[in-house]
Amino acid sequence: MSGFRATLQQEVLSARRERMPQVLLIVFLGMVSVSSLIGWLTHRTVTSVWETTRAAGLTTAPNPFAHAASLSYVKNVVIYVVLIGALLAIVLGVSSTLRSRKSRTTDLVLSRPVDVAVHLGAKLTGMAIWLGAILAVAGALTWVSIALIMRGALSAGDTIRLAAFFGVAWVFLLVFVVVGMLSGIHSRRETSALLLPIVAWSVIVFVLPQLGTAALPVSLLNPVAAVPVEGGAFAGVQQIVGPFALGEQFKTLSGAALGTGSPGSLGLAAFAIVTALAAGLLVLLGTRRDHLRRDLRD
Amino acid sequence: MTDTLVVARKELLDLRRDRFMALLLGFILVATTLSVIVGAAQFRIKLDEYDQYVAALKASGSAVSAAAPQLFPLQLLRGSIEYIELIGGLFAIVVGYGMVAKEKQRATIELLFSRPVRRYSVAGGKVLALAITWLVAVAVVFTVITGVLLIVGRAPLQPVDIGRLLIAAAVAWAYLLLWSSLAMALASSTKHLSTGLIAVLVLWLVVVLIIPQIGDTMDPDNQVPGGLFKSLQVAKPDEHAVLAHFAGYDTVRNGLEVSSVTKHFERLSFAFLGIKDVFNQLPIAAVARQTLAYSLSLVLASAAAVGLALLTTTRKTLLRRNS
Amino acid sequence: MSEIAIRTAGLSKSYGDKKALVGLDLEVRAGEIFGLLGHNGAGKTTTVNLLTTLLPPTGGQMVIGGHDGTANPDAVRRIIGYLPENVQFYDNLTTLENLRYFGRLSGLRRPDARIDQVLEYLDFTGHENERLGTFSKGMRQRVGIAQAILHEPAVLFLDEPTSGLDPQGVRKLREIIVGLNRDLGMTIFMNTHLLSEVTKTCTSIGVLTAGELRYHDSLAATLDAFPDESSLEDIYLHLDSPRVA
Repeated sequence: MSGFRATLQQEVLSARRERMPQVLLIVFLGMVSVSSLIGWLTHRTVTSVWETTRAAGLTTAPNPFAHAASLSYVKNVVIYVVLIGALLAIVLGVSSTLRSRKSRTTDLVLSRPVDVAVHLGAKLTGMAIWLGAILAVAGALTWVSIALIMRGALSAGDTIRLAAFFGVAWVFLLVFVVVGMLSGIHSRRETSALLLPIVAWSVIVFVLPQLGTAALPVSLLNPVAAVPVEGGAFAGVQQIVGPFALGEQFKTLSGAALGTGSPGSLGLAAFAIVTALAAGLLVLLGTRRDHLRRDLRD
Repeated sequence: MTDTLVVARKELLDLRRDRFMALLLGFILVATTLSVIVGAAQFRIKLDEYDQYVAALKASGSAVSAAAPQLFPLQLLRGSIEYIELIGGLFAIVVGYGMVAKEKQRATIELLFSRPVRRYSVAGGKVLALAITWLVAVAVVFTVITGVLLIVGRAPLQPVDIGRLLIAAAVAWAYLLLWSSLAMALASSTKHLSTGLIAVLVLWLVVVLIIPQIGDTMDPDNQVPGGLFKSLQVAKPDEHAVLAHFAGYDTVRNGLEVSSVTKHFERLSFAFLGIKDVFNQLPIAAVARQTLAYSLSLVLASAAAVGLALLTTTRKTLLRRNS
Repeated sequence: MSEIAIRTAGLSKSYGDKKALVGLDLEVRAGEIFGLLGHNGAGKTTTVNLLTTLLPPTGGQMVIGGHDGTANPDAVRRIIGYLPENVQFYDNLTTLENLRYFGRLSGLRRPDARIDQVLEYLDFTGHENERLGTFSKGMRQRVGIAQAILHEPAVLFLDEPTSGLDPQGVRKLREIIVGLNRDLGMTIFMNTHLLSEVTKTCTSIGVLTAGELRYHDSLAATLDAFPDESSLEDIYLHLDSPRVA
C-alpha cells in the first residue's frame, strides 16, 4: 500500500499549497466564525421586537425564540456549507485530478505499478482527510464562538450535536469532491472542468428544489429546508426530484443534528446523500486508465 | 473596418461557435423558463383552491363573497430574475474571464499585439463583443419567458407590461455586462490567470451570495416561518411602528444589503416588474423616480467595470512577464 | 528600406534584478536569414519580444527596417511578421477566418485574395474552411506562417519555429523559410536551439548566453573560423562556453 500512502500524502500536501482552495477556505472559516455572532444578534433583535410588541399590547403570542435550541445561533453555518463549503469541495476535487493533467504527470504515475482505482481512492482519501481537518477547525471555531456568546462551555449533548452536524457536512461535501474529481478527469478544458460541477451544484441547490417545492432561488439560501407546495403536480414532482435536491436533504439532516427542527424525512435525506456519494464513488473508482491520460486543451 | 470592430466581430464568431457558451446560455434559458412555469402552476393551484372555496360557500348557501386571487403576470418572473442574479452573474464571469484567458493560454495575445492595433482596440473590441453577446442573450431569455408567460401562464400582457419587461431586460443587460467586464479586468490585470479567476469568483461569492444572505438572515421578519409579525398577529401599520424602534439595526442591515450591487439589480428589477408589492401597478415613471438611486448606482457600477476592463486589457498588462 | 534590416545598440531588458538581455549590439542585413542560438533561458525569446515591440526595452535603441522601435513601434509593427513559439490560434475558427482576422489587424482591407495567394504559396489550399481545432501541430504552424506573411512584411520573426514538429514538418517548414527569403526577399530572424536548423537554413548566426551576445558572424565565416571543430555542435558548445569573449 506504499503507492496509496504516497498518493495520499501528495494530495494533502498539494491541496494545502493551492491558492484557490486556500482563499475559499479563508472565506468559509471566516463566515463560520461570524455566523454565531450574526445568529446571536438576530435572536436578540427578534426578542427585543417581541418585547416591544408585547409591551405595546399588540400581541399575546409567546416569544417565538423562547424554546429555541441552544445551537440555533449557528443554523446559518448550514447554508455556508451548502454555498461556500460545496464550492470549496468542488474546487478541491477538480484541482486534485486536474493537477496531474495540467502538469502532464499522469503518464509518469501510470508508468508505475499503480492500480487506477487505488490511485484515485488514495486521492479521494487525501481530500477527505483534508476536508475533515477543515471541518474540524470549523467545528472548533463554532464551539468557541457559541461558548463566548453564551459565556460558558457547551454541554456534552450540544457538543455531540455539533460534531454530528459537521460529520453530516463532511459526507455531504465529499459528494461534491467526487463530482469535482470526475469533472477534472473528463473535462476537455480547465475552465469547463471547474464550471460544469458548479452548474451541477446550482441545479442541485436551486433548480431541483424549485421544481418540487416552488421555492424561489433566493429563498433557498435559507438554512431551513423548503416545504413542498400542496396540490397540483408539485407533490409528484417533489417525489421524483426531491431526493436529488441534496442541498435540501442536507438542510433536513442538519436541522435534526442541531436540534433546530427539520420538516423532511430523515431517512430519505440520509439515504439520498449516502446513495449519491456511493454512486459517485462507483463511477470514480471505475475510471478507465485511458480516461486519466486524456489531453487537456488550453 | 476599425480594429475594434475587427476584434469584436472575431470574438462574436468565436463565442457563437463555443459549445460551452451555448451550454451556459441554454442552462439559463431552461432555469428561467422553468421558474415561470413553476410560478404559473403555483398560481393555478391558488385559483383551484379559490374555486373550491367558492363552490363550498355556494353549497352551504352562504351569501358571502370572497375576492378572487389576482394574477399579476410579471410577478411570475421573480424566480427568473433571481436566476439571472445568481447564476447569470456567475456565467457572465466565465464569459468575461474567457475573453482574456483564451488569448493568454493560446499565446495569440502576442500575435495580436505584434500588429499595429491602437491602444484600446483589443479591449474595446472585446467589451463590445460582450455587450452584444449579453444583449442577444438577454433578448432571447426575455422573449422566451414572455412567450411562456403568455402561453403557460395564460397571462394577458398590456403594452405597459412590455415596457416594464424591456426595462427589466436593460437592467439585466447592465448587470451581466458588469460581471463580465469585471472578470475581464481581473483576468487582465493579475499576473497569473488563476489569481484573476479566484479573485472574481470570491467576489461573486461574497457580493452575490453571502452579503444578501446575511442581510436576509438579519431581517427579523425572516426568522420565523411565514414571517415574525404574522406569527405575532401584528397588523402592517403596527409593524412599522414597532420597527421604528429598531431603525439603527435596520440601517446597518440595509446598509449591508446595499453594499452589494446584486441587491441594486434585484431591487430595480423587482420594482419595475411590480414583484415588490409596494411598486405593483405603479406607473413606470413613479417607479423610476423612486428607484433612481439604484438605477444610477447600477449604471455607474457597470460603467466603472467597463472602464476598468478597457484600462487594464492593454499591451502592457497582458504581455507582462512573471519573472 | 535601408540595407541594415535590424540594428540594435545597447539593447537591454531586466525583470526586477534579473537581467534577461544585456547591451545587445547587433546588425542584421536586409535579405539575410539570421539564426539566434542559445540554450533555454539564454534570452532568445526576450530578444524577439523586444524586436517585435511586444516588450519595451529597459535601455538601448533598436531600428527595424529604418524605424525606431521604441519611438515609433506602430511603424515597426506594420513592416514585420511574427510567429511566436507554440501559438495555438482560435480552435473554433476556420483557417480562412483566423487569417482574415490577423490580415485585417495587419491593415489589409480585403484580405481574401491575398490569403488565397499565400495558402497556395504554402501549399495549403483545401483547408480554408476547416476549423483549427482539428489541425496537427505542423498544419497550425503553416497557418502561423501564413498569418505572419499575409501583409508582405519586410522582416519576419520566428520564435523556435520547428519546435514540436515531426521530421517531415521540420523539412517542409525549412523549405518555406528559405523560399520566403529567396522568392520574396524577406529578412528572417529566427530563434532556435537546434544547430541543424541553422546550418540548413541560416546565412548568419549569433550566439546568446545569459543575455549576452557572445558571437555574431556569417555561417560560412563561422565554419571557417573553427576549422578544428569536428562538428557544428562542438562549435556551438565552444562559443557558448565562458572562455570565448
